[in-house]
Amino acid sequence: MFDWFQAVPGRLHVVGALLPLAAFALLLAAGGVRSLCRPFREQGGFASKLYWALGGDIPLKTGAYLATAFMAGSALLGVIGLTNFLADPSTGEQRAARWGERVDWVRLGPLESASPPVWQKQHAGDRFAPAPKPALALELGYKIDHLTAVVFAMVTVIGTLIFVFSLGYMKDETQKTVEDHAGHEPLASSHDAHAGHATPQAAHSLHRRGRFGRFFLYLSLFCFSMLNLVIADNLFQVFVSWELVGVCSFFLIGFYYERPSASRAANKAFIVNRVGDAGFLVGMLIAWTYLGTLNFEEMTHRVRSPERDSHTSLRNANQFVRVNPSSEPNRYGVPQYELPKQGEGSHLALFPIVKPGHFDGIQAGGHKDGKVSVPVVATYTSYGTIPYWLFVVMGIGIFFGCMGKSAQVPLQTWLPDAMEGPTPVSALIHAATMVAAGVYLVGRCFPLFAPEVLLTIAYIGAITLFISATIALVQTDIKRVLAYSTCSQLGFMMLALGIGGWVAGLLHLITHAFFKALLFLCSGSVIHGCHHEQDLRKMGGLKAKMSITAFTMLVGVLAISGAPLLSGWYSKDMILSSALGYVSVHPEHVLLFALPVVTAGMTAYYMFRLWFLAFTGTPRDQHIHDHAHESPRVMTTPLIVLAMFSIGIAWGWPVWEAEASTLGHVLHSAEPISVKTDFATEQKAEHHVHLYAGAIALGMAAMGAYLAFSVFYQKTPSRDSLHATGPGWYRFLLGKWYFDEAYDAAIVKPTLNLAHAAAAADKRPPEPESRRFDWFTLDGILNAIGQSAGALGLVFRAAQTGLIRSYVLALALTAALLLGMLAVLAK
Amino acid sequence: MNEVGLTPFLLLSAFLFACGAVCVASKRNAIGILMGVELILNAANVNLVAFARFNTTFRLEGQVFALMVVVLAAAEAAVALAIFLNFYNNHATVDVDEAKNLRG
Amino acid sequence: MSLPVILFVLVATATCVSAVGVVASRNVVRMAVWLLFTLIGVALIYFLLGAEFAGAAQLIVYVGGTLVLVVFGVMLTAQGPLRELRTKRVELIVGGVLGAALFVLLAVVSLELGSPQSDNAALPGTGPLGMSFLGVTETSPKGRVSGVPTGTPPPRTPVAYLLPFEIVSVHLLVVLVGAAYLARAKRKRVKP
Repeated sequence: MFDWFQAVPGRLHVVGALLPLAAFALLLAAGGVRSLCRPFREQGGFASKLYWALGGDIPLKTGAYLATAFMAGSALLGVIGLTNFLADPSTGEQRAARWGERVDWVRLGPLESASPPVWQKQHAGDRFAPAPKPALALELGYKIDHLTAVVFAMVTVIGTLIFVFSLGYMKDETQKTVEDHAGHEPLASSHDAHAGHATPQAAHSLHRRGRFGRFFLYLSLFCFSMLNLVIADNLFQVFVSWELVGVCSFFLIGFYYERPSASRAANKAFIVNRVGDAGFLVGMLIAWTYLGTLNFEEMTHRVRSPERDSHTSLRNANQFVRVNPSSEPNRYGVPQYELPKQGEGSHLALFPIVKPGHFDGIQAGGHKDGKVSVPVVATYTSYGTIPYWLFVVMGIGIFFGCMGKSAQVPLQTWLPDAMEGPTPVSALIHAATMVAAGVYLVGRCFPLFAPEVLLTIAYIGAITLFISATIALVQTDIKRVLAYSTCSQLGFMMLALGIGGWVAGLLHLITHAFFKALLFLCSGSVIHGCHHEQDLRKMGGLKAKMSITAFTMLVGVLAISGAPLLSGWYSKDMILSSALGYVSVHPEHVLLFALPVVTAGMTAYYMFRLWFLAFTGTPRDQHIHDHAHESPRVMTTPLIVLAMFSIGIAWGWPVWEAEASTLGHVLHSAEPISVKTDFATEQKAEHHVHLYAGAIALGMAAMGAYLAFSVFYQKTPSRDSLHATGPGWYRFLLGKWYFDEAYDAAIVKPTLNLAHAAAAADKRPPEPESRRFDWFTLDGILNAIGQSAGALGLVFRAAQTGLIRSYVLALALTAALLLGMLAVLAK
Repeated sequence: MNEVGLTPFLLLSAFLFACGAVCVASKRNAIGILMGVELILNAANVNLVAFARFNTTFRLEGQVFALMVVVLAAAEAAVALAIFLNFYNNHATVDVDEAKNLRG
Repeated sequence: MSLPVILFVLVATATCVSAVGVVASRNVVRMAVWLLFTLIGVALIYFLLGAEFAGAAQLIVYVGGTLVLVVFGVMLTAQGPLRELRTKRVELIVGGVLGAALFVLLAVVSLELGSPQSDNAALPGTGPLGMSFLGVTETSPKGRVSGVPTGTPPPRTPVAYLLPFEIVSVHLLVVLVGAAYLARAKRKRVKP
């Protein structure tokens, strides 16, 4: 066993990823057996014994502990894997073999070793006939690099802490019957047009069975999907996990599915994500069609020039090479492409994945002088081309999927609504991991993105971070503030990735995961302590009652605001200096620096506003304040652990150097080479402006924090006066920039109206006068089709005599005919 | 039997087969059809045994298959007769032209 | 004209004539008798081919079993004077054409096949056949797989027919049960 891991240590991660799946399977099996046995519970006998042995009417509590234990095991493996990986001295091929494996899942076409198909034999004499197309294989595989190892450890550790927290938070669900007060959010605040009719469940509180086990079941499945997504080495596996993550999110957001708002939010999250996934699918199919593989590494090899060919090292190593179709084919009649004399080519050259024995690169003055011949049928060892616009579409498509998952404008609307789920879910899925998947995938696919795509990513990120931060300024629901702040921080990450700050973006992904999980769990603790009150306006002065929560949350607030020496500082500093470096090279994109800087100030403002409103001042609702209590230890312990992580996760030596972060260095060794080639000047500029960016960011954050302090702590100027200055923009922000209304008006309403109109046209009024319309249109056509089929049937009916002998005759005649044909053809 | 060769046996088998096919296609009596089927099976059997004789590879196989066909034919006859009896009970005749519930 | 050839011509002619008799006669009982002669002829052909066991089985199972079954069927379904079911002339012609076409087709194929040379070794008798049904065979048959020209004969796995034998037996059992079920007399429910 030990040798097995020793030989291929990457398997640690696979086992770690499968542990939550095992927990899921166990819980599912136990629950299934129990519900099957339930009808017999009164009768005695084996089924009844089994039913009571599995917990009887009480929700599966043991199962939850089991799931937590499995998750802890997974975290242990993740951490061991990370240290193993960092300590592994092997390099190159050996490293790839030790930390990655691939197997075929579905293989279409011949295996390499299989005998060539017949048509190839026929053309065996023709040496320039295209070689058989290589098999297209959907693979299962994993590949551990620095990024994967770090993210894996992050997900498992945070996951474990949240599992532990949930043991306390979901205590209510362990009861035999749970009283659900049918949504603590008033229905009127919903924007959905159909919210008007309150369902019977909403009218009075509802009694149902506790769902402790089910909660952990979903959480386990979710963790498995996320881990599988992280270790996947190909886009298809990512897509499968992607969808699994999506469906788990659906289950968990709709965990209190009796509440109409929860089930609506679940639907919304699922549907909005589907919109993004459609783009993802488009991108994936383009990659599959043109690149012939979905493996990340192979895709990178395919689109980017190798470092050297058989003759010399190439000037355009690791870059995209754009070519134009050439008018003359080469001497064997194979179409040729050539480097353009000036301007950009219309096609992107695709390089062979497996280098043939003799291999010429593409460069002007090289062996072939910038010419490249591309056979009609692509193989792994030959060049190919893809129209450049299609390549851009591919990148945008993949990014579109990431937009959906990571809640970027314009697909951000689902994330705040997703706060309908239990708070640990918000912490795990909608802050630390699932939304991180989009950012992670952008990081993974970075070498595949054309410059145009990267610019799109940067702008989408910038717009998202600004819009979400402005909305967060005025939200009054404690979880919604955090939700919008998550959107905003994800925008920071996207922005960083788009402008070449690969390490910065992914470092922020890690640090943000820790402090956002901390913040969400703290808010969960507050909500738990205040008996499911989420409105900030009713809180206040909770610091005395919940000191641990208050203190740990302060750590989270400081971290997200970018206070020096806390983890958020390192990553945000890197992002802003990347942005400044980029802008100093490309002054026309000044918005890419201005927006994040302004938002850095806003972040500090709204986070401190939240903290001051909740924990300081005089209690605004005496009843809630009187009953508030600190959460049990099972909930505060994860808070403390997460707080420590939030402080120190990004530390390096010396601590006061923002660029010295150890985690940053680890991520730096995973950075794709293409980042360096594509963003060389920007990165050089970054070093010069680094200090200015840090200073500006710190200044903005301090300003924001001070503003919040003066408004919400000292009450000068008072909150009301601030609101009085601009009720217009206040309402605008409170309405979340009216994204939901805009979608409603632009998409939902027209669709519904169209449907109603169609229904009205289709409903046949009784009078024959109006019947004419339909008679010649849709119904008429359909009826004609149906009747013609019937008429045809009448014709063929005659053949069905019902006489056995005639059937036998027909059978024998057919057989004779077929045999005769065979006898003739066989000659 | 070396003087006779394979072909005459195959021709005999072909003739039996043709007779059986005509029998099946033209008899109105259900039992006549059954007899036609028996003829066809026997034609196949002749082929099998002849091949066993003239191809050394199929020494054993030919005979074994022939035996199985004989057994299966017996089984088939039993079931077919049972069906016919049922049919007779319902229609008071064995004329297969009466069985035309399938007529379109 | 050696004896085997004479014998073959005699038996084959008799068989063919009987087969034609089956087709041509209208009376079911006569058909059954013609079929009896055909089956006996086929059994004789087996004997001529040297497959004594197959011939014996043909006689016992077919002539002794199946045909008796058929005759029972005739008797059970005959009503009063045996009614003749006439076939329409058109159908007879179509059937005849069909039969002729099939015969020509098969004959052409057979003639093209040619006659392979065979050694004079006897076909395996009752003993080897029975053993093969029990799963025991000689592991290294002398014969070679056709199509392999020369060199060492390819290794052949021993052929044994235990499983088919079992399947056929179970099949027979099932068929007998099914036949008994289908043909059982329907009890009329007596109304009280």
